[in-house]
Amino acid sequence: MGSHLFAMMLFAALVSLVFSVLMKDQPREQLKLGGLLFAGFVGSGLVLGWILFFLPL
Amino acid sequence: MSRKSGHPRRERMVVASNAVSVNLDSRRAMTAGMLAWFIPGAGHLWLGRRQKGVTFLLALPVMFGIGLLFEGRLFPFDLGQPLVLLAAFADLGNGLPYFLAKVAGLGEGRVIAESFEYGNTFTIVSGLLNMLVCLDAYDVALGRR
Repeated sequence: MGSHLFAMMLFAALVSLVFSVLMKDQPREQLKLGGLLFAGFVGSGLVLGWILFFLPL
Repeated sequence: MSRKSGHPRRERMVVASNAVSVNLDSRRAMTAGMLAWFIPGAGHLWLGRRQKGVTFLLALPVMFGIGLLFEGRLFPFDLGQPLVLLAAFADLGNGLPYFLAKVAGLGEGRVIAESFEYGNTFTIVSGLLNMLVCLDAYDVALGRR
């Protein structure tokens, strides 16, 4: 599997790719939306991960 | 109304022709949707949307394959467990890759594997994404997109 981060990034990349191609028709728009979605997925995953790290669970 | 215009026969023909056209469109849309479900991306390819079709044809089976590689489970249709049932329907959304995996005996899942939950997430989400792709192919065939 590599690492949890790798698995998350792989998941984010594939979902972003499918969503962007599904929702936009022009390659430029697809790239823009795909990049935004990927950054959103990875960024929110990292932020949530750090929040959970500090929680006494 | 047709009597007022003075061309009842022509109007009847136009109405019949529109009905045939709607019927053909709906049949085409159903075919595109079913094709898109069975082979991810095939619906778009059939409708001439090559770039989208090829992307789905590659990305969705790859995502499903990664899920199996991560030792995810293809959930059974267990009516006693509603969440498992929902996951089974999501898995079924993958179409042909799902059936191939079932025939090959893959997707048993190894609960103690570190990547088990990742695997489930990949297989379930690829099935759900393919369902969205089916709806998109249906809309494209009807000229809504």
